[in-house]
Amino acid sequence: MGLIGNVIYFAFHPIQLRSIIQWKVWHNPPHERNEKDDTETQKACFKFLDLTSRSFSTVIKELHPELLLPVTVFYLVLRGLDTIEDDTSIPLETKEPLLRNFKDFLEQDGWNFTGNRPEEKDRELLVQFQSIIAEYKNMKPAYKAIVKDITDKMGNGMADYCVKAATEDASVKTVEEYDLYCYYVAGLVGDGLTRLFVEAGFGNPALLKRPELHKSMGLFLQKTNIIRDIREDYDDERRFWPKEIWSKHVDNFEDLFKPEYKEAALNCNSEMILNALEHAEECLFYLAGLREQSVFNFCAIPQAMAIATLELCFRNYAMFQRNVKITKGDACELMVQSTQNLNVLCDTFRRLTRAIHKKNTPKDPNFLKISIVCGKIEKFIETIFPTQKAEDAQRRVKGELSRDELEKRKAEAENKSDVYFLLAIMGVIIFLVAGVMLVAAWALGARFDLAWQEIRSGNFRPPAITHKEL
Amino acid sequence: MSEGNILASKKVVVSGGTGFVGAATVRSLAEKHPGCAITILDQSPPRAQHALPEKVDFVRVDVNSMSEVSKALQMIKPDVVIHTAGVVPHLADRFGRRLEREVWKTNVQGTKNMLDAAVESGVEAFIYTSTCCVTTDDMRFPYPNINEAWPTSPASLIYGESKAAAEALVLQASSSKMVTCALRPSVLFGPGDYQLIPSIHACIAKYETWFIIGDGFNLWDVTHVSNVADAHVLAAENLMTSRTAAGEAFFIQNNEPITFRDFCLAIWAHFGHVPSFEVHIPEALAYVAGLVCEWATWATRSSTTLSRGSVRDACAMRYACGDKAKFILGYEPRIGIEEGIRLSCEVSKDPTLHPGTHSFPSFHSSYCLFDVK
Repeated sequence: MGLIGNVIYFAFHPIQLRSIIQWKVWHNPPHERNEKDDTETQKACFKFLDLTSRSFSTVIKELHPELLLPVTVFYLVLRGLDTIEDDTSIPLETKEPLLRNFKDFLEQDGWNFTGNRPEEKDRELLVQFQSIIAEYKNMKPAYKAIVKDITDKMGNGMADYCVKAATEDASVKTVEEYDLYCYYVAGLVGDGLTRLFVEAGFGNPALLKRPELHKSMGLFLQKTNIIRDIREDYDDERRFWPKEIWSKHVDNFEDLFKPEYKEAALNCNSEMILNALEHAEECLFYLAGLREQSVFNFCAIPQAMAIATLELCFRNYAMFQRNVKITKGDACELMVQSTQNLNVLCDTFRRLTRAIHKKNTPKDPNFLKISIVCGKIEKFIETIFPTQKAEDAQRRVKGELSRDELEKRKAEAENKSDVYFLLAIMGVIIFLVAGVMLVAAWALGARFDLAWQEIRSGNFRPPAITHKEL
Repeated sequence: MSEGNILASKKVVVSGGTGFVGAATVRSLAEKHPGCAITILDQSPPRAQHALPEKVDFVRVDVNSMSEVSKALQMIKPDVVIHTAGVVPHLADRFGRRLEREVWKTNVQGTKNMLDAAVESGVEAFIYTSTCCVTTDDMRFPYPNINEAWPTSPASLIYGESKAAAEALVLQASSSKMVTCALRPSVLFGPGDYQLIPSIHACIAKYETWFIIGDGFNLWDVTHVSNVADAHVLAAENLMTSRTAAGEAFFIQNNEPITFRDFCLAIWAHFGHVPSFEVHIPEALAYVAGLVCEWATWATRSSTTLSRGSVRDACAMRYACGDKAKFILGYEPRIGIEEGIRLSCEVSKDPTLHPGTHSFPSFHSSYCLFDVK
């Protein structure tokens, strides 16, 4: 969309423009970064962060300085793994040991990898991997251990998958396999990040005792991406939708994209979205355990984007024809809403859940299940942020005023006395100013005595002055 | 808790046991505790639509008669009494005061009779089937995610008022000799339900399926009857063992809050009907229409379909948190809404199982029904 296109678009969508402006003008990063002090290797890390990630680089760069580099390095290391796994030109016998030993390369000064095919998108990251290793080595030992452990697990998970893909059918069949796949690509990241947050004192240690919570955080994002990218993945000959789900609606996966199976495709899509929505409650629960604003923003923004994406995809046939995306304006609005606090974010979740609920149709075989999962999300939000309390209801039955109402009355009374006080001050000021003016006029020779006499004799207007002709 | 020997060779009396909740409770009890001896007290003999297990005694008793109740309990000498008998006014009389005396007599005096007779005959545990309406019938307020700390309302509708008064009697009567508790289920459905699902089904024929009053986002609780039956059995087990539920009330529901609109849509879809369009009627407008209908009803002395009360019912936010029942009684709903609807609709579709003699209330807004005597 060129400039003119943009102008026309925003002329008809002023609210979108307003959201973008609001975000750009009013968003202050909780922690500003001073780029001048960065070392060469740090600069390289941030450069690669920008190159490899569109969505995460902003939120990562606003993180608390304590976690800024650990999270950046963590992200880039996993990205490096991903780049090796994605490259189909690397033969299995080279790829498997690379993936399995990747955790050890982190400890080897100057290690890099130039074996990627030239067209591989993030090839450059591995070519200059020594910068990332240098920063890894500067990290606190506790953070290093976490990054290394997750790299180990993910590398082995990927290697297993590659071996399986080479020897047998690796397509995702059951919902269990689907969950496992998502766990390896996203759930593990949630695991590592949670440990980093808790280590830094920014997350409630209880989060580590409830691993299903961070697992849900990762799975919710990954499943949303898999749902949204169905067309793109299909065109690239990749399939992540589990057979257990799609086979209920169509006989062949390809049928999802044929116009004659439109209803079946939409129902299948609903079931996928239902499967993802089951994580929403636990995501909100997880976010309640974060104690630092930049960490909250970092986690909350992707979650808000995910539920908005699900809302966009729900009962939307366009996603089988092309790649659908939330608009930039909506994204900015979501970012504003997810960088305040959990209460505001919950309002966003409720709004989007209701929007999904509204599009739900009884023609869908999963109609009732979707309705129930939406109800459960709403109930959960009500549990953490009750709109009413039992004590208020008790008081209501007894006819007493609640504390809020009492406070309101008190505030009203205070307001009233404030108003009287302001009026009194105004009176005093007017009196003083008038006095000063009268004294000044008298000093300059005004004749108040004459004026007074005139007024008493009934002449309120000055006598008409008639100019004699010159 | 689930061992079958807690109630083995114990005697259990279920009042209202031939009714909707009563019969389900008897079935659940007989299934889980085959060793216990069950006696039903009811003024109506067993009915076809509420199936009962074979090995159950029946005594014909009117709970309004202290002498009958007392005689029956003295004769049986039960260990546990489950008091489900009560009267639920039909929708047409839900919002009025016409049946006030009758409802109070059965629900409050009948409960007092049962309580007194139970104490007299040395009963150990007394379980009362209350209702969520003890709180939610006060229609001035929304009830999102309420729990047992919320007050019961002394001034609401005749049904809620009478059940609240009876529940208070039951809970106050809890002592070391006889422990009591009260269960508060929400709107019920399930096999033998001749009001909720049939009347929702009837909307299709009356072209009422297109209209949505209010925003349609207000969540409700519904309860499958076999779940509330399970809760009664769990309560009996608790009161006969740890007694942690003594003197307590519990909200019982499916723990799947759902908009009432969606509940109806799901049922209609089972009968192959999907509304082709939807008309949203703002709550305020419907409220005025309800008022007009009430005048018309009053003028023509017919029975009302739409009223201010039914509009408020349809737009109300009413669902409860199930944590207390879960932690104290160990209650979890066994039959989910989806399965419950499927089972119920299959029964409704089968003409041989469908008692066709009842007339159904025409407007589907509120059903706080347990057991109609």
